[in-house]
Amino acid sequence: MAVDSAEHTRKAGSGRPARAPAPLHRRAWLRLSRNSAFRTLGPFVPVVGLWWLIAALEVFPPAFFIGPDRVVVEFAELLRKGVLPGYLADSLERLAYGAGFGLAIGIVMGFLTALSLRVRKALWPILLFFQAIADIAWLPIVIVWFGFSLTAVTFVIVYTVVFPLMLAVVSGVEQVPRELVLAARSLGAGRLRVFWEVTVPGALPSIATGVRTGLGYGWRALVAAEIIVGTSGIGFMMFDARRVGDVSQVFLGMVVLGILWYMLDALILAPFEKATVERWGLVRGMEDDE
Amino acid sequence: MTALVIEHLEKTYTDAYTGDEVVAIGDVSFSVSEGEFVSVLGPSGCGKTTVLNTVAGFVRPTSGTVSVAGNQVSGPGPDRGVVFQNHALFPWKTVLGNVVFGLRMKGMGRAEREARGREYLSLVGLEGFERRYPHELSGGMRQRLGVARVLATEPAVMLMDEPFASIDAQTRRRLQEDLTRIFEERRPTVFFVTHDIDEAVFLSDRIVVLSGRPSSVREIVEVDLPRPRTWASAVDHPGFRATVAHVNGLLAEGEAEGTAADVE
Repeated sequence: MAVDSAEHTRKAGSGRPARAPAPLHRRAWLRLSRNSAFRTLGPFVPVVGLWWLIAALEVFPPAFFIGPDRVVVEFAELLRKGVLPGYLADSLERLAYGAGFGLAIGIVMGFLTALSLRVRKALWPILLFFQAIADIAWLPIVIVWFGFSLTAVTFVIVYTVVFPLMLAVVSGVEQVPRELVLAARSLGAGRLRVFWEVTVPGALPSIATGVRTGLGYGWRALVAAEIIVGTSGIGFMMFDARRVGDVSQVFLGMVVLGILWYMLDALILAPFEKATVERWGLVRGMEDDE
Repeated sequence: MTALVIEHLEKTYTDAYTGDEVVAIGDVSFSVSEGEFVSVLGPSGCGKTTVLNTVAGFVRPTSGTVSVAGNQVSGPGPDRGVVFQNHALFPWKTVLGNVVFGLRMKGMGRAEREARGREYLSLVGLEGFERRYPHELSGGMRQRLGVARVLATEPAVMLMDEPFASIDAQTRRRLQEDLTRIFEERRPTVFFVTHDIDEAVFLSDRIVVLSGRPSSVREIVEVDLPRPRTWASAVDHPGFRATVAHVNGLLAEGEAEGTAADVE
């Protein structure tokens, strides 16, 4: 809606002399490029095309490199057998647990660190120390502690989500303009109101970026953990398929991972940012036309 | 009734690197009556904004006192709303959300505060923009909203920190006329900081002219211009030109002294 009205005013306001309508192919392209399905899927057309071409020309032996057609067949097959939905549900459940705890801990710890100088002084060196220990490096000891369990995977995901998120919250709080805090105070806001009305929304652009980064890391950690801890899940499926030499499931796993992340972004993260930080003019949207 | 009393205000900063003491405000005393428009004018860097920040409660004075409506200032409070140079509107709140912010903090009910908010929006000429966000407004409109946001809470004194300094000249003239109209209609107490002599003379009942750093009150100039005021009538008024010339002279003298002091 908003985009449409902006288009109209721009055309009306430009005051260009009337001229012959644009050629048919240009108008078709214009209409196509406004279609959201085309905007979402369009960029993948050449990628899939190239993939298909490489597979069809048999640049690599078909046992190592398969085309999109085989992946679709494999997808239907695993769907029919119920293997894929089961593994998918396992992976998503682990991610949900890990991300849920990770977000809660990361945001609370982040605000504590940002708002209290004492907490920050105490936590900062520890934060930097643990940031250097990669998530996967925890797996050996985590397996010793928790076994090949959901807890072990959750631990690793929480660990990966918490640190980037804490850093994002701290830098977000630091970016809140001091004048806005003063304005709120001089309009009668107490410290608690300033926190909820100014600090939290002011830090949101940075927090949104932190959530995106954190979940992205968490998603990768999940797959890595499943490969190593592996009893089920997408990562397990891929690694297990490699063991028996079934490349098609490896390819399928990669495609599924990409699509899932894209959906998470398109269905949850992007709409949230559109309704908040982009609406407030704090950051520019990816799909803004101007 | 006096709304604001400043007595022997002094402010000294300690330079964080050199440890030197820098005197920002030497000795400033003056008062503002209820319903009076008083400007503070001085050369740049003379500490006039520091005076305002002290009244707002953002900065603690080294010595001296500031009292508003009989109460000594010890921190920021809703009796001293501030209009900032860079408007400081909340980007995540709509125009209406910004204007009712102070009323919400007071605990006023939704219906009542929204009615009051709309009243003040129409006073500053922003009716119809209630659902917009600040980034969708022009610079002039943002500053109008900044004024409405403070006036809606009916503060004992409205503090304005060079509010029109970053706005283009033409819009600035309109805003000054509108501010004068609002002042004449509502008679709030206004404490206005500026470095623009014409602006100070056009808007004020009295002008506190500060000397260069460390600042002290050089002279308090009464502005004898009939209200209602418009720019068209003010520029032709002999009183306006005479006052501008007088204030200009005061500032030029101060500058000459300042240079002499530098040479020594």
